[in-house]
Amino acid sequence: MTSPLVLLGGTAAVILGLGLLFWPRLGLLARLRGARDYARRVRTEDTLKHLFSLEIDGRRPTLQSVAGALGASPDAVAGLMTELADSGLVDLAQGRISLSPRGRDYAIRVVRAHRLWERHLAERTGYAEVDWHRIAEREEHRLTPEAADALAQSLGNPAYDPHGDPIPTASGELAITGGLSLSSLGPGDRARIVHMEDEPAVIYSQLVAEGLHPGMVLNVLETDGDRTRFWAGGEEHVLAPLLSNHVTVAVLQPEADLPEPGIPLTQLAQGQGATIVGLSPGIRGAERRRLLDLGFLPGTRLFAELRSPSGDPTAYIVRDTLIALRADQARHIRVQP
Amino acid sequence: MSSPAIPMPGSIGRSPDPDVAPPAAVEDILATAQALRWEVGQEFHERLVEAMYTEAARLGDRAVTRPGTEPRFDLDRSIDRVVTSRRWGFPIMILLLALVFWLTIAGANVPSAMLANLLLDQAHPALKGLAAGIGMPSWLSGFLFDGVYLATAWVIAVMLPPMAIFFPLFTLLEDFGYLPRVAFNMDKLFQRAGAHGKQALTMTMGWGCNAAGVVATRIIDSPRERLIAIITNNFSLCNGRWPTQILIASLFIGPLAGTSWLAGAISAAAVVVVALLGVLLMFAVSYLLSRTVLRGEVSSFSLELPPYRPPRILQTLYTSLIDRTLIVLWRAVVFAAPAGALIWLFANIHVGGDSLAGHLVNLLNPFGLLLGLNGVILAAYLFAIPANEIVVPTVLMLTVLTSGLVGQGVGAGVMFDADAAGVLTILKGGGWTLLTGVNLMLFSLIHNPCSTTIYTIWKETKSVKWTTVASLLPVAMGFGVTFVVAQVWRLVAGG
Amino acid sequence: MPAQNPITLDPQTVQGNGNGSTDAPALGPACAACPAHHAANLKRLGVDMADWDYVVALAGNPNTGKSTVFNALTGLRQHTGNWPGKTVARAEGGYEYGGARYKLVDLPGTYSLLSTSLDEEVARDFLLFGRPDVTVVVVDATRLERNLNLVLQVLEITDRVVVCLNLMDEARRHGIVVDDRRLARDLGVLVVPTAARQREGLPELLQAMQEVATGQVHLRPNRVHGEPPALKQALQQLVTRLEAAYPQLPNARWVALRLLDGDERIIQALKQGELGSLTRQAVLA
Ligand SMILES: Nc1nc2c(ncn2[C@@H]2O[C@H](COP(=O)(O)OP(=O)(O)OP(=O)(O)O)[C@@H](O)[C@H]2O)c(=O)[nH]1
Ligand SMILES: [Mg+2]
Repeated sequence: MTSPLVLLGGTAAVILGLGLLFWPRLGLLARLRGARDYARRVRTEDTLKHLFSLEIDGRRPTLQSVAGALGASPDAVAGLMTELADSGLVDLAQGRISLSPRGRDYAIRVVRAHRLWERHLAERTGYAEVDWHRIAEREEHRLTPEAADALAQSLGNPAYDPHGDPIPTASGELAITGGLSLSSLGPGDRARIVHMEDEPAVIYSQLVAEGLHPGMVLNVLETDGDRTRFWAGGEEHVLAPLLSNHVTVAVLQPEADLPEPGIPLTQLAQGQGATIVGLSPGIRGAERRRLLDLGFLPGTRLFAELRSPSGDPTAYIVRDTLIALRADQARHIRVQP
Repeated sequence: MSSPAIPMPGSIGRSPDPDVAPPAAVEDILATAQALRWEVGQEFHERLVEAMYTEAARLGDRAVTRPGTEPRFDLDRSIDRVVTSRRWGFPIMILLLALVFWLTIAGANVPSAMLANLLLDQAHPALKGLAAGIGMPSWLSGFLFDGVYLATAWVIAVMLPPMAIFFPLFTLLEDFGYLPRVAFNMDKLFQRAGAHGKQALTMTMGWGCNAAGVVATRIIDSPRERLIAIITNNFSLCNGRWPTQILIASLFIGPLAGTSWLAGAISAAAVVVVALLGVLLMFAVSYLLSRTVLRGEVSSFSLELPPYRPPRILQTLYTSLIDRTLIVLWRAVVFAAPAGALIWLFANIHVGGDSLAGHLVNLLNPFGLLLGLNGVILAAYLFAIPANEIVVPTVLMLTVLTSGLVGQGVGAGVMFDADAAGVLTILKGGGWTLLTGVNLMLFSLIHNPCSTTIYTIWKETKSVKWTTVASLLPVAMGFGVTFVVAQVWRLVAGG
Repeated sequence: MPAQNPITLDPQTVQGNGNGSTDAPALGPACAACPAHHAANLKRLGVDMADWDYVVALAGNPNTGKSTVFNALTGLRQHTGNWPGKTVARAEGGYEYGGARYKLVDLPGTYSLLSTSLDEEVARDFLLFGRPDVTVVVVDATRLERNLNLVLQVLEITDRVVVCLNLMDEARRHGIVVDDRRLARDLGVLVVPTAARQREGLPELLQAMQEVATGQVHLRPNRVHGEPPALKQALQQLVTRLEAAYPQLPNARWVALRLLDGDERIIQALKQGELGSLTRQAVLA
């Protein structure tokens, strides 16, 4: 019989080789196949999206702006533009770049796919908020219109993405959102965050790190120079204009009786009781509904009763029943001990 | 439909009522609803749930009188403090598992031997004698009694006693309310593996039957995590495999311990180790799946821990005996009888100087040896795709046939036999070593699901792709694991 | 006639699995004076439920004893277990009582009908579209508030409801006293206290189910109307339209609520004309 060492080594080598070749997405074969077509579609769609977003903002696209958005050279972009014009997606009349009606439809479809996907990531997955945009950037090119419709249905036909941007309907209608920039508020103003711009990613990730979400209510305490100091989600925040410009808010009527913000449920010690003051907007969709169905509602008394020996789920007594929640969900429930 | 007292305009299966609104009205309603949805705002759902709960609380308060303010369920909380404590939570889980197996192994020994004696040693020769007496042709009596009858009798002797002990014990734990605590204790591990905490529950259901475990995954409401639970359920040793584990452990591992009372404990420990290895593999595969093809999407987890309820022991014993044990046994018999017939035919139809079974075993033997198993075992697993229960009988029969042991068998395709010593002699005669025993235990844990489970997976996922993955992944892993174990073993032992 | 048999675990019950022809003993303590026990004897029909007269759904929160009630009435042995989520698929069985044949449907437990979670879909769909003649909501008497939440939701869908106040033995053990008459008055439906595992209260439950199935009692269920004004207006608009399109629809408010919540299942039902089937209850009333 062959030596065991040779057998073991040989098998390992064969498995490694096969893996390198056939691994989904990363394997050599997968990379070769389809890589080129895909890259071309991504470029087309990204271009259309860029043109569309400028159009919404009322700005005029140039070869340079497109090149900047795509990270390509202006020469390459010039070639791309003629290709797009040939396929009837872009008008190049009088040296101006603009979307043709067909191009606009296409762009809206991509935007729809992007925002639906973000909503899906927010509601159904555990991806970190900062990753949503990046992943949606990738998936928007893969989602067929039919798949997008199916996704929309399964999400309950949402009207907004998790950043507060409107999601275009299947027939291509798109609501235009209004709202003010957070930096324009003054002391004493009360407002709800309606939108947080997810590009550029550096700024967005700082906003997320601050713990801000669309839907959150904030109270401006002070505007010091151009910095804005405000209270939201039970904490104080200070944002420089660079950041606060990326937050769109809707002003609310000032209210005397602000709800007590409380502490996250996770901070409750074992054996301690508390009253729920609210669920943070950070928990959404099905997860939020499940908590509501289980009776985690504002005003409900609960006790932190048991902690799992491995540390994580904690069981709470809520309405006479012992219910275990992971810290991941419990931190979104705010309580008053 | 018989005529009810009052005209009943509808029940399931009737055609839809004629009063269907015209499409235009429907369109109008939907459009209005869509427009109103923007108006009522996102918090509408919450207000609604709050209103419901407030009303429920009001009605509840009016109807219920409680004794003072003393906390309820005191006893429950005390039990919970112990079984979920940092120090005792996990030891208690493993001890309970070990206890269940020890009781099963220790308790099943005697009745198994008695059944084997009755069905195999006494009834079988008697039947053969009777057949000869009434002048039945020998091929027919061979087919009926050496094939169909023996396979069935063997399965009953091996399966019935352990199942009749294991199921009631397990059901008692279930009725007591312990299972959700297992899920509670283990959730962190599942979380790390990217899986759902309720997979702990479906895993324990799988210890009864994988097909049932796969159906039970419906309690997991996230598609991705449900898929992970379905694919990895096969790593829960099911009732068709426990007897194999128990038998092989008693034959090969138990004797390592010298004294006989220790042998039982060591065998039980070996089975627990294999079961825990299954749990470990379940975590590993869940982890890998959730990092590669089934990425992301960790969903919520909420688990209600019910109050402890004193199980009604007699009733539980009775129903789980009648229900689970007999139903499982029935299934085994249904599969064993035709398999017995098939094996007998395979062993008695000769082509080119050897029986079909002989050809098959010879064909598989080199590969089997590479895995530390042998051709007989691999052939047995082919025969046992419909039901894992018949692995051991098939192994014995094929071993007798191919090792040409004389004096043990009555003829080709006869399955026996008898007590543990006899089985051990047959296996040793077939060239089995401790390595073969260990690897059979491993392969019995890690191989394709039985056909019923495969069908259930398909029904639950409606996906050929995932059914294929769930079926082939474990076999591939089983080949890998046994291969590595065999080679390392030989390296160390200097074989 | 073994009409006076006490309720015990008799071999008949357990062997009667799927065997409709055995004359199973009646459920019921010796209470000849009670109207409930006169002529109406229970005959467990197991899986034999051809030609049923009424369909009865067993709904309720998880782990409240639905399957235990189901087993007691049909003589089947649907798996029960002390953890939420034991039943994951619909199970059907039959029984005969008071001369009529009933098909009993055991459903998986649900916390709510307002969500769209997958694990609760089977139960939600059956309650909405299965058109049961009676919906028995099995509730846990020791956790009334949580369970009433679901009862109130079921009452939005149908008024042919019997509340089975189960686990009364546990409530007694914990010293909890439930005033079932007051609850019945408040809810506007029949409430029957039971301890299904001990088979207490099942005769009364059967009687109540019969009364509701045959329309002997007139139920006037309470419905929650605590919604904020903006919502009330929106609801009113939709309800008006729904009632114009489906004059028979008894639960237009519920359908309107679900539409406002964007419930895809209801939207589809509307598009495919399934909603018409929801109008059945009204015809009887
Ligand atoms: N003490 C007591 N226990 C009961 C009673 N009814 C049911 N049980 C027990 O409660 C547990 C749950 O019963 P099931 O019938 O499985 O509950 P279910 O409502 O079908 O649960 P799901 O299928 O999970 O929704 C079991 O352990 C039963 O034995 C009762 O009246 N008294
Ligand atoms: Mg059940």
